[in-house]
Amino acid sequence: MDNLHQLTHAYSQAPWRRQMYMIGVILLLLVCAAIVAGIYLNVTARAAAVGRQIQEMQVRVYGYHYLTGESGETYVPIEELEQKIANLNSQLAYLTSYTIMQERVKDMNLTPIAADRIAYLEVPGYVDRQSTSLAPPPVPVVVSASVIDPQFKESLFDWVTEQARKTASLLGEAIP
Amino acid sequence: MSRYTAGQAVPMGRIRKKPALGETPDIKIPVSEKAGQTLTGWRFNLLAILFGLAGVMIIIQLVRLQFSPERTEFVSQGDQYNRTLHIFYPPRGDIYDRYGRLLAGSTLVYEIGAQVDNVDNPDSIAFALSKVLAGHAEYNYAGYSDDVYSVIHQAQLSGTSYVQLADFVTPDELTQLQSWARNYANLPDVDYGEAGKPSLNGLVYRPRLQRYYPENALGANVLGFVNREGTGMFGVEAEFNDLLAGAPQSVWMTLDPYQVTEIPQLKAGADIVLTIDREIQAAAEEVLDKGLTDSGADGGVILVMDPNTGEMLAIASTPRLNPNEYWNYADVFTDNTPYNRAVSQDYEPGSVFKVLTMAAALDSGAVTPETQFIDTGSIQIGGVTIHNWDWGAWGPQDMQGCMAHSLNVCLTWVAEQTGAGTFYQYMQNFGFGRITGIDLAGEAPGRLKLPGDTDWYEAELGTNSFGQGVAVTPIQMIAAISSVANAKGEMMVPHVMESMVRDGFQYTPTTQIVGRPISAETARHLTELLAKSLEGESSDALVEGYRVAGKTGTASIATPTGYSTTQTNASFVGWGPVGRPRFLVYIWLEKPSTSEWGSVVAAPVFHDLVERLVVLMDIPPDGVLQGSANP
Repeated sequence: MDNLHQLTHAYSQAPWRRQMYMIGVILLLLVCAAIVAGIYLNVTARAAAVGRQIQEMQVRVYGYHYLTGESGETYVPIEELEQKIANLNSQLAYLTSYTIMQERVKDMNLTPIAADRIAYLEVPGYVDRQSTSLAPPPVPVVVSASVIDPQFKESLFDWVTEQARKTASLLGEAIP
Repeated sequence: MSRYTAGQAVPMGRIRKKPALGETPDIKIPVSEKAGQTLTGWRFNLLAILFGLAGVMIIIQLVRLQFSPERTEFVSQGDQYNRTLHIFYPPRGDIYDRYGRLLAGSTLVYEIGAQVDNVDNPDSIAFALSKVLAGHAEYNYAGYSDDVYSVIHQAQLSGTSYVQLADFVTPDELTQLQSWARNYANLPDVDYGEAGKPSLNGLVYRPRLQRYYPENALGANVLGFVNREGTGMFGVEAEFNDLLAGAPQSVWMTLDPYQVTEIPQLKAGADIVLTIDREIQAAAEEVLDKGLTDSGADGGVILVMDPNTGEMLAIASTPRLNPNEYWNYADVFTDNTPYNRAVSQDYEPGSVFKVLTMAAALDSGAVTPETQFIDTGSIQIGGVTIHNWDWGAWGPQDMQGCMAHSLNVCLTWVAEQTGAGTFYQYMQNFGFGRITGIDLAGEAPGRLKLPGDTDWYEAELGTNSFGQGVAVTPIQMIAAISSVANAKGEMMVPHVMESMVRDGFQYTPTTQIVGRPISAETARHLTELLAKSLEGESSDALVEGYRVAGKTGTASIATPTGYSTTQTNASFVGWGPVGRPRFLVYIWLEKPSTSEWGSVVAAPVFHDLVERLVVLMDIPPDGVLQGSANP
């Protein structure tokens, strides 16, 4: 027992060494924690900054705009462009509307042609004016018939024949 | 030899004195140090216990809050600041005419509001808005400026963060406001007295799309309109509202930048291509307006259909509303006037109905075109005496003569020969008494009294045969007569939707046939009979170079005290060119004042319209085609 006690004493760390060890471990933990916290802060800060950018762009779509702001925006959301395109299409439609075109006809001293002044020519293969096509017709969905495994449809005779053919083939390869 | 003597202080850990066996090392700690350590330990322990208790209390409180009744309230309070609800509306689908001309699109408008906390000068905002929006119908009243100021002031008092001040502001008006804002911002910082420095700070705007009709009132009765809430009203807008509007989505948009909510990818509303031809629609409306002016009629309808497919090429009805100014609806449609008379107003059509009576009789074999009838000027049916329109007796007539002279007595006899059961079966096959299924909102079914109904009398067979005592809509009439006009006996479903564009594909429904109420042979015979009738009467409906078939109609108008003796409904139905039908036209003039007869007021309208139709539809005259066929 005494020997054990002495042995323990002999190999015991000095208290100051143990303190230094503990301090070192704690410092190491602190440094690790600081590194992790730094990385975390860096990542989260960047995520927050990107999140804010996204939110600002989203606000351009659904939020409010100041009367004096946003004159030099680089990025314009798709939705805003779509709104502008729709607006321009409507303006174009107005400029080519029936009433406006009639005014232009009047300004140009044109009059509608009377039926008796039209000369008709027979043009073989002529196709009447077709209604508008704004998009292609839907692609027909081709449902391919499922391929049935031969095992489910071959007869016993077919199977025996196939096996015999395979065996002969293998034998043919094996014999030089 | 040891460097240290007994009793000398030895640094611990460096030189260890080996104790003798059985001897316990005696480490002496000063009394003062021992007491201090005990005291420090006690204090630390107490502090630890206190902190521990505080931590436990906090944890207990946290757990308690999680399960407390107030939890939901706290959560909702937090949500108020953490997220905002936004409803995203997909762009409404466009509407085109059959050749791709935009009839209904979208335009940018702006909602103007104030972020109250940022407002520096409510007076400036009120003044600027009242000046810029002076031309805006909704805001050009005298007290608008005061109202704006009051709204902002109230919001400031109540702590409201945002108030809406104007809506449907045009891009031009917004540009003016922006100009005002920049000018105010550039003012020098001097003393502006009690009024303060003018500023539009706090004024914000939000863009959005609003329905826009570039053709204004053209085709308005077909299109309908979209109201302030974005809902389609009447016509195509109402019928296909779900299709056009797409599916709006409500999303809680979080304010937490770590949890950015994605703006939903909205499925845009479908675009619709109509069968309506803008040029034909315009021609129909112009001819109708002229017809109303010439005849002094209260209102009217012109329908143009391709009888081969049921496609409606034009639907003109009065009155018409500019759908861009839909708020005038109540001023335009007074006295329960339907938005589209063609589909929503039934009436007694009069003699145009004889086309169908004769079709039923010919098809059932009750009569042939050569069947002779001696017109004595009156006929008894169900205890009621029927007379001709002129109260005259026309003597021996074949069926062509009966139709050409529009003899009520003859047609009553024809209906009798057909038999009530057969006659009404045919009328049901023609679709009367039920809606045609046209893809326009608000279709009326009309009323066809049938034998067995409590209010049906035998005399109805006679009056119904010439279009009295039966309530039909113009669209029902044109749908029924399409079976005659297309010379195939096929009754087509009238429709205005040519195709639909959705998800990048254009879907075109196939033409639908309601049924075959009559045979193709009957249709051809009747068309020939009616063409000859018009030619025999030198009708005003005839068009030079084109052979057309048709029938006039003059109907007495029922009043609470009986049929009016002064007011009529004048109608005309006609189609052509005979043998290769391309158009079917139905005209109804309500209460014409210059003449009560359809042959006088409605037939010329048909003539005027067909003259323009043949040009717009590239229909060569009969002579050209005959010359081409027989070189």
